[in-house]
Amino acid sequence: MNTMSDQGRSAMLAILLALIGAFSFASVPEAAELPTTSVYRLDVPLVDQDGNGLHLADRRGKPLIVSMFYTSCHNVCPLTIDTLLATERALAPNARLGLDVLLVSFDSDRDDPLALKRVADLRKLDVPRWTLARTEAANVRKLSAVLGIQYRELANREFNHSSALVLLDAEGRMVARSDTVGAVDQKFVSALATLLSGK
Amino acid sequence: MRRAPALSMCLACAVLGAASTVYAADYVSLAGGTFTSVLPADGKAGDATVAPFRLRATPVTNAEFLAFVRAHPQWRRDHSPAVFAESRYLSSWSAPDAPGPAASSEQPVTWVSWFAAQAFCENERARLPTWYEWEFAAAADATRTDAREDPAWRERILAWYARPSTTALASVGGEANVYGARDLHGLVWEWVDDFNALLVSADNREQGDPDMLRFCGAGALTLQQRENYAVLMRVAMLSSLKAADATANLGFRCAKPGLIEDAP
Amino acid sequence: MKRLMLSCVMAAALAAAGCGSRSADVDAAGAATAAAETGGSAKGDFGPPQGEPIHAVLTSPPHVPPPVGRDHPAKVIVELTVIEKEMPISEGVSYTFWTFGGTVPGSFIRVRQGDTVEFHLRNDPTSKMPHNIDLHGVTGPGGGAASSFTAPGHESQFTFKALNEGLYVYHCATAPVGMHVGNGMYGLILIEPHGGLAKVDHEYYVMQGDFYTTGKYREKGLQPFDMEKAIDEKPTYVLFNGAEGALTGDKALAAKTGETIRLFVGNGGPNLVSSFHVIGEIFDRVRYEGGTREQENVQTTLIPAGGAVMVEFHTEVPGSYVLVDHSIFRAFNKGALAILKVDGTENKSIYSGKEVDSVYLGDRAEPNLKPVAVATKAAAAGALTVEDQVEAGQVLFTGTCSVCHQANGEGLPGVFPPLAKSDLIAADAKRAVGILLHGLSGKITVNDKEYNSVMPPMTQLNDDEVANILTYVLNSWGNPGGRITVDDVAKVRAQPAPAATAAH
Repeated sequence: MNTMSDQGRSAMLAILLALIGAFSFASVPEAAELPTTSVYRLDVPLVDQDGNGLHLADRRGKPLIVSMFYTSCHNVCPLTIDTLLATERALAPNARLGLDVLLVSFDSDRDDPLALKRVADLRKLDVPRWTLARTEAANVRKLSAVLGIQYRELANREFNHSSALVLLDAEGRMVARSDTVGAVDQKFVSALATLLSGK
Repeated sequence: MRRAPALSMCLACAVLGAASTVYAADYVSLAGGTFTSVLPADGKAGDATVAPFRLRATPVTNAEFLAFVRAHPQWRRDHSPAVFAESRYLSSWSAPDAPGPAASSEQPVTWVSWFAAQAFCENERARLPTWYEWEFAAAADATRTDAREDPAWRERILAWYARPSTTALASVGGEANVYGARDLHGLVWEWVDDFNALLVSADNREQGDPDMLRFCGAGALTLQQRENYAVLMRVAMLSSLKAADATANLGFRCAKPGLIEDAP
Repeated sequence: MKRLMLSCVMAAALAAAGCGSRSADVDAAGAATAAAETGGSAKGDFGPPQGEPIHAVLTSPPHVPPPVGRDHPAKVIVELTVIEKEMPISEGVSYTFWTFGGTVPGSFIRVRQGDTVEFHLRNDPTSKMPHNIDLHGVTGPGGGAASSFTAPGHESQFTFKALNEGLYVYHCATAPVGMHVGNGMYGLILIEPHGGLAKVDHEYYVMQGDFYTTGKYREKGLQPFDMEKAIDEKPTYVLFNGAEGALTGDKALAAKTGETIRLFVGNGGPNLVSSFHVIGEIFDRVRYEGGTREQENVQTTLIPAGGAVMVEFHTEVPGSYVLVDHSIFRAFNKGALAILKVDGTENKSIYSGKEVDSVYLGDRAEPNLKPVAVATKAAAAGALTVEDQVEAGQVLFTGTCSVCHQANGEGLPGVFPPLAKSDLIAADAKRAVGILLHGLSGKITVNDKEYNSVMPPMTQLNDDEVANILTYVLNSWGNPGGRITVDDVAKVRAQPAPAATAAH
């Protein structure tokens, strides 16, 4: 579990490593303390489809839709991406630019950056506004726990999981969620539009 | 006998590479194996396999959790954020750093969230047990590794569910099962690492629901062994919770993979 | 050809004459039926809620909230809390019930067809179990169960529109469902027809349920739920409103002569179907199954497990009217018995007989199980006196023993031996213990008279009850006195039953 002091520590470490030239961790902004309900209080180190390391809290500052999937999923996950794309299309083009999307994989073992990149290319996702990422199994569990997403790995390495699009505001508070898959959830779109318009 | 030196001292010992008295808690060893779980491993009817692991002999007590909270004040109830623990976190304690008379040191700690429990376990280089590990350990009674077919075993457990929780919690240290683990039944509910993998429908009558989109390729999990109510009720309980939730009857214990301690 | 035509014409004329009036009847009846059809859920949506949201008034049984008295759909907010609590189920017997609103059955909910109900289900923090709710009046998956799964200390909310009128059961649907229902998690929700129900003088709420305990019927102490008995459908108790005596004595339902009574009667199950009957009354109107249609002049009506019925009747004669499940052993041996006490002046032209004999009702009509409670307490404190035993024994004797041996111990000549001044008892008082526990059949001689009958073993009595009854008998009607203790009984119970008697 991370706290402000741990985040402070990793920020210093980042500066140090950057100086040494090792690959850098983006440091967590220390501007104001995160709200007590902010998901960004959970430190989740991620690696994206291009192999870059980042932290969940790096997304602070802009509204974010976060969801979870895995690349060898043939049931709902493609629909989740469809739903996300359709939800975005329901917004005005310049409103869309104010939104980030993050999809984190359940499958820590097999979803490496290459597998993620394949999906990003195949679906022509608007990287880097969209990010597909992976993390270690323990962090997958913690992220799913904080987002209220259920999942279970089966003996055949497939995953059963619930589907949810979770909308976070710029400070990481959950402001809306949708379980609708395969269709645009109007309530969710309204909440999204309201958030993006800055009200 | 069981209560050992404070965690900080033990971590120091670990760094120094001392062997047997390294960790504060008693862990018992379980060889694991294949067994019939109420949650089929393949989502339909497969048996589950548990790798060898160690399990804390008893649930974590108020005394142990107090030591943790003192060493890690970000986990005090007046400091921990709502995203990790709901407002009633440790509400049975009289003060943020003192359980008080109502929460005796040997009682299992309750009103703890999943995040708080995980943090405690991570602090002793452990984690919460998985559902399968817990179920495997809990299938045993004092003489058998698998007592689940015995109606008397089930009735005893059902009797605990039926008792109201108006009386004070007992202390840890009930009868040991065949592995040496105690209080897996009859004391408190316990968190597991994958509590949110229990993909049962909120309406438990929908077993075998053909809504394949619900959980991506599966309807609600078909629970096996439906006559094993004692275990099914535990699944129902865990599946009703969110990670930041806490209740008066929910505690936890920790587990470590393998049978031998990793080098520090 | 002509004859054929004539007969056809005549037939047609006759048919026209006869069928004309008959078809008018059929048409009228058809029209009546067509007019009375509610159209079900397809016609039950009266549009969006109007006016301010209303907080529903919920009542504890046997009371019912007042009629809705509205002519438009509204938003109704219902807040119901699940509480797990230990309560008495019978005299000296307690049980951990899981309740909606602290009672068994749970609170009565009353709304109007077309209302939008915002349902808040809370689970008390002291609960051990998660719970949810399935209301049979909800159209939607699980009847709300999927949306209301609530961990202890938490709250769920869901909203539904009450499309169909009727009287509906609600119950918890958390696995194992039978256990949650068997622990008392059920109640009724009335969705009034949009025109309301006819006005009556009293409305009462009664709900039958079957209960399964590991101990025997009336075995004292805190009794746990018995899953095996529940699966085998062998209840220990069958009760109205969750306890023996819940609606008897000073808790009996009350009314006066010349009044109309409406009973909302549910059956939570989990297993049994009820044959609901009120002894001494006929149901003038029965909305069978809690639906829309009515039957008239019904003696006994079936209530399915998970179902309900509305019955109405008019009172003419004062007295105690006994509500029973007419599968009658449930009424007299498992507790399915409640009382409606009607006060008023006698009406000899309708009923000239006397009040129902207390022998019939036994110890359930009056609030006189108190001596048993006193004796139980005294015994627990180690201070049980002979007087305590005699008083408790007398109360237990009535209705159990007096049915055959009579209230004055006379017995029935040639059939049931006397207990009064009995030489059999005087010779060996302890023998009576064995007779109560194991029964007695074959030829015996009491007070110089021969009897050759069968007395069944009184297996429903526990050691305290046997000791108290026999102590009462020993100290009554010229018997020699003395006492039988619980230990005396336990000793005899521990021995095997005697071999077959001479009669075999």
